[in-house]
Amino acid sequence: MKAKRKVVAKAPGPIEPSLSAKKLDTEFQKIVSTLPELVAKLPDKMHLSILGTDFGAEVPGAEPEPVYNATARGDIQGNIVPGFNKDHQHFLFFRIRNVARTKQWLRWIAPLVTSMEEVLAFVRAHRALRKRLGVREPPMCAAWINIAFSCEAIARLVSPADAAAFGDHSFRQGLAARSTFLGDPTRRSRSGHRSRWKVGGPNKEADILVIVAADDAEDLVNLVRNVKRRAAAARLRLLFEQRGDTLPGALRGHEHFGFKDGVSQPGVRGKVSPAAGDFITPRYIDPADSRARFLAKPGQPLLWPGQFLLGEPRQNTESISTSGPAATNFPRWAALGSYVVCRRLRQDVPAFWRFAIASAAAVGIPATKFASMLVGRWPSGAPVLRTPAADDAVLAGDEFANNHFMFDDDSRPSVLRPIPGYPGDAHAQAQADMLGAVCPHFAHIRKTNMRDGATDLGKPSDSLTRMILRRGIPFGRPVFGVRRPSRRLLKQERGLMFLCYGGTIEDQFEFLTRRWVNSPLQPNVGGHDPIIGQRDTRGNRTRFIDFPTAAGTRRIRIRREWVVPTGGGYFFAPPIKAIAGVLGA
Amino acid sequence: MALVTRFDTPASLRDLPVGSVFYDNWHAFLAGGLVTTPGSGTATGEFYDASEINVDILAERALVWMGFPRRVLLPSRRDDHLDAYMTADTTANRAVQDEYCEWFVKRNAAGKITKVTIVTETPEYWQHLWDVDRATVVNLYKTLVSPAVVEADLRTGGPGSAYNKFNRWNTTDGIVHFIQSINTLGAALGLARGSVATGAARDNYEMTPGANTSVDPRVILDVGALARKGLSITLRDPIGIYIAGYDDTGWTKPDGSPVGNYWTIVRGSPGRILRLEYKVPAGAGFVVGDIRIGGRRIEWGGQVAEHITCTLGGVAGRRAR
Repeated sequence: MKAKRKVVAKAPGPIEPSLSAKKLDTEFQKIVSTLPELVAKLPDKMHLSILGTDFGAEVPGAEPEPVYNATARGDIQGNIVPGFNKDHQHFLFFRIRNVARTKQWLRWIAPLVTSMEEVLAFVRAHRALRKRLGVREPPMCAAWINIAFSCEAIARLVSPADAAAFGDHSFRQGLAARSTFLGDPTRRSRSGHRSRWKVGGPNKEADILVIVAADDAEDLVNLVRNVKRRAAAARLRLLFEQRGDTLPGALRGHEHFGFKDGVSQPGVRGKVSPAAGDFITPRYIDPADSRARFLAKPGQPLLWPGQFLLGEPRQNTESISTSGPAATNFPRWAALGSYVVCRRLRQDVPAFWRFAIASAAAVGIPATKFASMLVGRWPSGAPVLRTPAADDAVLAGDEFANNHFMFDDDSRPSVLRPIPGYPGDAHAQAQADMLGAVCPHFAHIRKTNMRDGATDLGKPSDSLTRMILRRGIPFGRPVFGVRRPSRRLLKQERGLMFLCYGGTIEDQFEFLTRRWVNSPLQPNVGGHDPIIGQRDTRGNRTRFIDFPTAAGTRRIRIRREWVVPTGGGYFFAPPIKAIAGVLGA
Repeated sequence: MALVTRFDTPASLRDLPVGSVFYDNWHAFLAGGLVTTPGSGTATGEFYDASEINVDILAERALVWMGFPRRVLLPSRRDDHLDAYMTADTTANRAVQDEYCEWFVKRNAAGKITKVTIVTETPEYWQHLWDVDRATVVNLYKTLVSPAVVEADLRTGGPGSAYNKFNRWNTTDGIVHFIQSINTLGAALGLARGSVATGAARDNYEMTPGANTSVDPRVILDVGALARKGLSITLRDPIGIYIAGYDDTGWTKPDGSPVGNYWTIVRGSPGRILRLEYKVPAGAGFVVGDIRIGGRRIEWGGQVAEHITCTLGGVAGRRAR
């Protein structure tokens, strides 16, 4: 007789969340008014990140990292490494009408383009001032410019052969041609269809992207005005412009759904000088801890610079700490440049929260907890894996703890170098969550950063090659922090100017988007990324998540869209000397 | 008490009548490969034979990986995907298609692809079928590949000789099951079984799975992590290597509109697919080779295989008292 086999109980059918409109509105208003209180709190007597002029300690026996001397640092655009990170930014999308005049304009703007040298000096001075004054935001300000070009622009300004020499096929095709491959709508009736984009759709593709950034809003306005005036004189057509600002007050650094953004970024390997410890990315892990080989600080992986700068040593696809060969598939003048992806993403804040509120009621948990499980972090930025029950503002404010966790095994405390004023990571360590019961497989931070977990392409060393440098900023007026937001305010457009840099577009941004974010099967079975995931199967845009509950996973269908692409483009940020010397020559 | 008294066939196939000795043979083959193996190093769990050991299942996990061979794409061709597709398609005897996923491409007179057939069927299954009923094997080949197949085509020699897995209908003229040397169910069982030896590794960062495929690290790391938690792990019945899904998002017809559903599950079922075909219906006015993926024309079968996700089902739990 065949023995009866014990199996896990089959999950019941999909949940169809439903709540009255009145209930949804009431709950939404409550969240809007209370969420801003959940902001990160810094540990006492600590002003992040303070190592003074000491940026790290060498790991004995580690592979030497490339040194970027003043010439190289002056050639790399500063928003790539270390990143502008300014509160106010303005994006200008230009179309070339007259090549000769454009070249003149490029020769004008080239000396204004801000380098890694300038930004790094600012960042280091900022850190030193923090330490000296004992305040988190010392009074320093600057206004900066970076620039990037489409493949078509390179063909016109340099030569078709030079444009064709860029090995990244997706860059050569452009964002509009790859739009539906990224899951964007295939039907023109959908607002996210490329034909309806504000910029970057067919016949609306920008040749040049200028990014202006400033600490002070007035400085930004003045610099933008000057760039636009000179561009107009060069007969550059301004196709579109977008102002971006960090959210005001306590929600600074948060995105419009209310969650802290940008907590996790890779650290770029490389040194400013041959002097011991003079790293571009400060190293906080004590070399006695074996993780110092591949982490700059807890949860921040170190990546070889070729992942973002053409011609530099890249990640070894089979090892988490050693370098691999540099790319060679680009024109020689493009070395130290980087590919840029720009996506203007509209966010429908009420739609997101109404889904969270209704679904949370269906599974019997608070709405904020449900929404945090969609993200993988609480609104403050605290990871759900380290504080599963409730938000923890103190954990969120501890940059040596808020990104320290693994998915497949229990996390162990890191051994850190002495950090003045830092009391140490006393928060409960994250427990293994291999099956996605706490931070579900569909959670945004799990989809986009698999950390220690195996993936459909194998091991963590492969996942490291997919990482990008994110440099986005919100646009539009916020809803959070506004008591009883009016219908008019809710209907206004708001979202994220997503911007990222990488050594390829296809194997980094596109890989993450199509293969992991948009797939319910990859890197692990469990549903689509409910935050930024896009899906379009012959016009069907319904997504789903398999939500973990005490009784097993429950499938929840997502029929509304709350992140809609409305423009963008694929660009290349060249080395600064090539702006006048090649593109403007 | 044994939980499973008879292991089922992949996707519960019934190529022979119920009651055939074939099913007993298949069970015996699997039970022989699922040797209970205690964990070692940091792994305190075990891999177990579900026909021998009763375990209270706590979790199921689908191990998924990309069908296209990672070792062809990375590290040597990370900057030339087209060369990787071509290499994967043109290497003799599908020798580099080593992700437990193999495919065959059919082209028209103009050289354009008209059909891509992707399989995850193992040679062991077909060998066991042959051992019991050759006529059924011949008939299946006729149905799956060509009406022209005769038994002599499938043998190594004269009547009564052994099954030749490298026969023309499974190599140059078609595909039925794996032929790549390590694509066997036995190898997959061995991989899963051996993954409970985790050495001194405390986490996946400290693991060093040497293979540069997708599937080996996927299994080694997933099984190893479960074994480090003291769990008893085995493969989910019906044990098989399956195609879990396929993704044609952003694939377009020559006029730029989205493609229709041109996939046909020939053997298996959704989520447990063993044989999948991609072919444009007759009369559409174009063929697979005219379709574009993200704006790039399909020139190689590997471009399709890149969007295939394979899977092996696992379960984990604690020994029942």
